[in-house]
Amino acid sequence: MSLKQVYEQHYKKLLLIPFLMVILAIGQIAFQYASTGDIVNKGISLKGGSTLTIEGNLDANDIQVFLKEQFPKGDISVRALSSAGKVIGVSIDADAQLKEETDALLAALRSKGFLTSGTKYSLEVVGSSLGESFFRQIATALLIAFLLMAIVVFIYFRIPIPCLAVILAAFSDIIVTLAIFNMTGMKLNSGGIAAFLMLVGFSVDTDMLLTARVLKRVELPFMERVYGAISTGLTMTMTTLVVIIVGLLFSKSDVVQQIMLILGIGLVVDMAMTWIQNVGLLRLYFERKHQGKKEMEH
Amino acid sequence: MGKISDIFKDWKVIMLLLFLLFAIFSIQPQIFGNDGVAIKSVMKNSSAELAGIQNPSAKLSPLGREVIIAINNKPVANIQEYYSSLSDIEENKTIRVTTDKKTYTLLPPPDLISAPDHGSALGLRVGEAPSSNLKKGLDLEGGTRVVLKPTTKISADDLEITIQNLQERLNVFGLSDVVIKSASDLAGDSFIVIEIAGVTEDEVKELLAKQGKFEAKIGNDTVFLGGKEDITYVCRSADCSGIDPNAGCSAIEGGSICRFFFSITLSSEAAERQAELTRDIPIVSDQQGSYLQDPLTLYLDDEAVDTLNIGAELKGRATTNIQISGSGQGRNQQEAINDALHNMKRLQTIIITGSLPVKLDVVKMDTLSPTLGKEFLNNLLLIGVLAILAVVSVIMIRYRNMKIALPMALVLLSEQVLILGFAALVGWNLDLAAITGIIIVVGTGVDHLIMITDEVLKGEATSDWKKKIKQAMFIVMGAYFTTLSGMVPLWFAGAGLLKGFAFTTIAGLSFGVLIARPAYAAMIKHILK
Repeated sequence: MSLKQVYEQHYKKLLLIPFLMVILAIGQIAFQYASTGDIVNKGISLKGGSTLTIEGNLDANDIQVFLKEQFPKGDISVRALSSAGKVIGVSIDADAQLKEETDALLAALRSKGFLTSGTKYSLEVVGSSLGESFFRQIATALLIAFLLMAIVVFIYFRIPIPCLAVILAAFSDIIVTLAIFNMTGMKLNSGGIAAFLMLVGFSVDTDMLLTARVLKRVELPFMERVYGAISTGLTMTMTTLVVIIVGLLFSKSDVVQQIMLILGIGLVVDMAMTWIQNVGLLRLYFERKHQGKKEMEH
Repeated sequence: MGKISDIFKDWKVIMLLLFLLFAIFSIQPQIFGNDGVAIKSVMKNSSAELAGIQNPSAKLSPLGREVIIAINNKPVANIQEYYSSLSDIEENKTIRVTTDKKTYTLLPPPDLISAPDHGSALGLRVGEAPSSNLKKGLDLEGGTRVVLKPTTKISADDLEITIQNLQERLNVFGLSDVVIKSASDLAGDSFIVIEIAGVTEDEVKELLAKQGKFEAKIGNDTVFLGGKEDITYVCRSADCSGIDPNAGCSAIEGGSICRFFFSITLSSEAAERQAELTRDIPIVSDQQGSYLQDPLTLYLDDEAVDTLNIGAELKGRATTNIQISGSGQGRNQQEAINDALHNMKRLQTIIITGSLPVKLDVVKMDTLSPTLGKEFLNNLLLIGVLAILAVVSVIMIRYRNMKIALPMALVLLSEQVLILGFAALVGWNLDLAAITGIIIVVGTGVDHLIMITDEVLKGEATSDWKKKIKQAMFIVMGAYFTTLSGMVPLWFAGAGLLKGFAFTTIAGLSFGVLIARPAYAAMIKHILK
């Protein structure tokens, strides 16, 4: 059986894939919550602490071992930063918030020569109260964004079921992306959160395109409308993905890389949510509607 | 196929071109470079200020700044030349500083030759002459960002007063290239965000976080407070401030300690109060002289910072001239002198500007080295170019038609110019978040252009172009409003830290949807018709 046949004839069975993804994702998030107390692994900008970024060809492991010796009580993690496959520096996350603590950290790194007077570095210190409130705020913002998006979709298409399908696709996309992000083990920072907000709009783009084509081009058979939308939608996804890949590969900034990674995951997941889930639901809706009409005629 | 010249007759295309012209006009890129060094700030009472050089206001556009083009008639093209010119100056000779506005004659301070940095000894902070009207944010220029949160809820008026007071403190301290803004979050908490470009001084943090409640007390009675009400003048010139010549420096365990002094003038009410309070205090005498039994204690934010003996001759007299003193420590004498002078400057600043209406907590503090910022910028430019190239390649693979790829690339590019033009016009600081927003706009921009193209190419079988384009714009507008739904809450959330991202995304999308993308539709129509 060709792929096209599977796609056209077994759309009900195919619908299981996105729904299974959502269920697994909810499971992952629940597990994350149960084991850490948070639905996501929070970075420094969301929970408080400091991030020190040092440029240069440094060994993250050496620094990690050294700092663990120096500050046995501190919660410190060191990560290598890379751009275009080359190590360009290290990023040190620490729970140090007070000036004395960050100064001690800098002094320790200086004493061992990891940091010299000519080294380029940046230091970001976030108080835990700000971090906490920031996280709550953005969670609220995400909710508001979602509601606003839903309102726009309803005003636009005015037919409940197709609108709900669009909103469900966006919701599924965000949940699955969050779960996949959790599984990478990365820590979410403020930039990443902006990416999730961005994803609300991004993931709806293709769904809106699909719904508009299906609802407006009634002169064509259903699947032809869908294929038209797929050819446009995939071009859209491809162009955005190449931008994201360029950003991921060449960016020197941690923040930019995280934004790009989340958008990238979101876009890939969105393909399943739009072209399997949303298409399937729309088909179900139209078939039911059609049947209803036929029954009325009898 | 329509004529190419028809494209330029379409009002949508004309509008895009007009907006582009306007954007380039507001960015004013200095294509041939810009010689000289821009004056970033002028310190109070410095040689530079006394010679009449104006402290630039933070509201000036980057190209509106005064630029030094020559020192002692020797042209200055860049920072290196500026410092090498300054290192040539001779002792006790006036210095001629020529800017793009006029020529100033500076009287150098007596200790100029021995100062480590001649520029700041003259009271000037400078930076590279700007190459356009775009303001670079902190991540790109380097500097310090401090987010302060009032410890108690305060009214909007008090917040405004606090901001003005902080602004004045920084100005008095000698920094004017500072952005201070209030921010709030969805929970209704207010914050003050301060960005100081090119500065990474620890002291700034202390200056900002201190409420600055300065009190002078005898016993439990307040004699005078910091601020203009009680203190009418604070001396900051060399003749009545500096390292105390009588006390000087002395060695202590592990280093050195130095005392500073500066004189202040009390208002007549405060002087009267002092006379009243000292009238009944008995006089004691020892080998150092006669003074009152109870000393004058200076408090900063309720902490005693220094104790001064009051000379016996001042008992019961309404004297307005008072000397304030304090000390600084260091591992050696030079460090102790520097520390003492730093403490003096801070105390002077706080006494001049008075107390803030509220105590502030530092909730976030970022320091970024400027070179790191520069690399970020170059890196992002590289990404921008590569991103457009990658997009154009995908478009070429899909449509195999230069007539589509070329207008698309041009429109994407012009959307970025429009965002930058708008940012220059409103004086928005371009930081990392803002530039990420621009990259995202390229991402959505190309999405919308593809929707328009496909709608036009394979849309309804009708040859009604108007209808085709209307259908395309219907989807584009829908996508626009949903993306906006994500960005608008971000604008308001989280102490304004992601506002830059929201700003560029909203501005870029709006320009794209309202101006650039309709123009693209018009172009495509004329090309493919």
